[in-house]
Amino acid sequence: MIPIKYNYRSLMARKVGSLMTVLGVGMVVWASIFAFGLSAGLDKTLEIAADPLDVIVLRKGSTSEAVSAVTESAAREITALPGIETDKYGNPLAASELVVFAYLPRRGSTQPVNVSVRGVDPMSRNLREGLEIVEGRDFTPGVREAIVSSAMSQRFQRLGLGDKFKVEGGEFEVVGIFEAGGGAVESEVWTDQPVLAQLAKRTGAMSSLQLRAASQADQERLVNRIQNDEQIDLKATTEVNYYAEQAQQSSLIKVVGYMIAFFLTIGAMFAVANTMYGAIASRAREIGTLRALGFGRLSILTAFVLESLVLCLAGAVLGCLGALAITFFLGGIQTGTMNPGTFTEVAFSFDFGPRVLAQGAILAVVMGLVGGFLPALRAVRMKVVDALREV
Amino acid sequence: MKFLPMIFRNVFRNKIRSLFTAASIAVSLFLVVTLYSLITAQEESTDANSQANRVAVLHEAGLAGNLPISYVNRISRVPGVIHTIPMSWFGGNYREETTQFPQFATDAKELFNVYPELTIPADELEAWQNDKTGCVVGALIARNKGWKIGSKIPLQGNIYPANLELTVRGIYDGPPTMDRGWVLFHFDYFDESLKKLNYPNSGNAGLVMIRAESAAKMPEVMQAITAAFESSDAPVKPMTEKDFAASFMEMMGNVRGFIRMTSTAVVLALLCVAANTMAMSVRERTREIALLKAIGFNQSTILGMFLAESVTIGVLGGILGALGAKLLFYSVDLSSIDAGLGMFYIPWRTALWGLALAAVVGLLSGLIPAWRAAHVSVIEGLRKVV
Repeated sequence: MIPIKYNYRSLMARKVGSLMTVLGVGMVVWASIFAFGLSAGLDKTLEIAADPLDVIVLRKGSTSEAVSAVTESAAREITALPGIETDKYGNPLAASELVVFAYLPRRGSTQPVNVSVRGVDPMSRNLREGLEIVEGRDFTPGVREAIVSSAMSQRFQRLGLGDKFKVEGGEFEVVGIFEAGGGAVESEVWTDQPVLAQLAKRTGAMSSLQLRAASQADQERLVNRIQNDEQIDLKATTEVNYYAEQAQQSSLIKVVGYMIAFFLTIGAMFAVANTMYGAIASRAREIGTLRALGFGRLSILTAFVLESLVLCLAGAVLGCLGALAITFFLGGIQTGTMNPGTFTEVAFSFDFGPRVLAQGAILAVVMGLVGGFLPALRAVRMKVVDALREV
Repeated sequence: MKFLPMIFRNVFRNKIRSLFTAASIAVSLFLVVTLYSLITAQEESTDANSQANRVAVLHEAGLAGNLPISYVNRISRVPGVIHTIPMSWFGGNYREETTQFPQFATDAKELFNVYPELTIPADELEAWQNDKTGCVVGALIARNKGWKIGSKIPLQGNIYPANLELTVRGIYDGPPTMDRGWVLFHFDYFDESLKKLNYPNSGNAGLVMIRAESAAKMPEVMQAITAAFESSDAPVKPMTEKDFAASFMEMMGNVRGFIRMTSTAVVLALLCVAANTMAMSVRERTREIALLKAIGFNQSTILGMFLAESVTIGVLGGILGALGAKLLFYSVDLSSIDAGLGMFYIPWRTALWGLALAAVVGLLSGLIPAWRAAHVSVIEGLRKVV
């Protein structure tokens, strides 16, 4: 085997050329990580939103809460079913919630977009243990007050602490900012359900019923029971499925992300191949000498593929560092888009986690292997006599 | 000019290298042009459509709000309004498909007056107007789903609890800037289906689309409409069709920023790799350059020759990538993949802009290597063994 030191020294011998290639590959890896990080961040937000034991009950045929309706009588009937987790006082962990839209502009924009406003039950808190007021105070029941997630508060006009916004014709005051450890709740505004229901003229039917099953088996039984009950005539899904369905709706973002990565990788492959062709052409004599010394074809092939792999991996490291620098110096990137499943804003941050970085690195490996293979093949194919004669 | 053949020969001297550089530029530009077209194609079509002076009247609370259907009549009486239709997004599921295509409940009599760009054979229009459960569909979606006159389209309500059973009575067509992927049916059929189920929100339209007499009248008309419903239960917000389209783009978030950033990274990466290959070819030809200088070529000629070479490679990549993208999306029908992509195309200005970008990448990447070539010392260059 040709020692890897040979490759390393060869790369160092042509510093500028190697550096340019590494920079190019690094850029490509960085851009791909960005594209992956966007869709991974969105998925993650919807994923953490779900508690594995939670069940969400909607009107049959509706795929999101905003277009659903669950009558109070049906909600009462379901809440009385066995298998629902209870709190320490023995009350079932189930909450009827009302979701409506506020129409608000993002900061720095004049064009309003839909924001989910959730009217919650006192029990709703127990279904989302992570929720915590970080600034201001909780809203007072019966009054037009609201609490806003810190992500939404930063992204939207009129949602800052102390601001007033309109929903369903009523004016609400933002009295508190909450955090919930990521997840879909962080894209919402919360207020008292009876107050919101009265404004929205939605008495007698809320948007959804959320409940927590006592165990996995209970969850399955509850879902089946509700699904098959003709009287109740509602649809029950696990929260995990509900959000997975929404994540699927945003597949366009994913497709665009993969398209970006795919084309960039192909483009970079050509560039890497070029660099390697150049490296091999200028080292023809060296290769001839190596062959004359008795190094086999396979070890030369390996050496050159390895060299291109080293180039690309250096690029991958650079790209990953670039992405990590964003997390490190800027504290990540907060952004938001429309959740196509609900037509409302979903706030999320780019995910530059290990999986996304690994995806970027895999691209670099592919670039290195494919881009290096053809040139390496040429190196191997050279006749020793001719190679030694090259100037 | 007389150097053109020489530059050309130099471009193709190392065929693989030039080809790979051009390919690398082509693939990357294909991407950049495609991404930018997501924005420019939409801008171009809204510009074209704004000729019709349409105004969308929405509930003050946006698309989530509903307008009583009586508003259609009241709005049509506002001076300056010549045609008015309700448009209600049904959002139903077709068969087992998970993605939805645009489905609107509207007014069959006025629809083609509000959208004069759309064309439909007179007999088909009449057949639709006379069939309460009939619908007309866009030429693109009809082709993709294999719908013909008489085809049944069952739609399962998602937003609304009702299911619709539609029959295709006509197929409309229009210019590429119009969405030819709609399914349009009678508002009355839609509303009666809701009433039968005692749905609380029946008798409402999602939005009212109007056509104003002239572009000059539009601000006046919009003001009059806003004023007419100011103190009612459902105040309205009229917006020009252009703003309405822009509001959809806005919902997607900072798409523009994301595209700009990705493209910048791509162009920078391209600069690195293209400059690298140019540097390689200059290095290989050091002796030759020295020879050229020895026989009397001056610095600026050599600089120009190398720059021309790198620009040629860049432009080659640009033609392949940018114009290739134009051609590809022209001949491939994307609406079969996703209904929303049906209107996607590469506008000429974006394709040409991509071509120019390629030339600039070629020029910039050649700058340093060409400068180095121009400053090759004759004596050392002649002596150099590469």
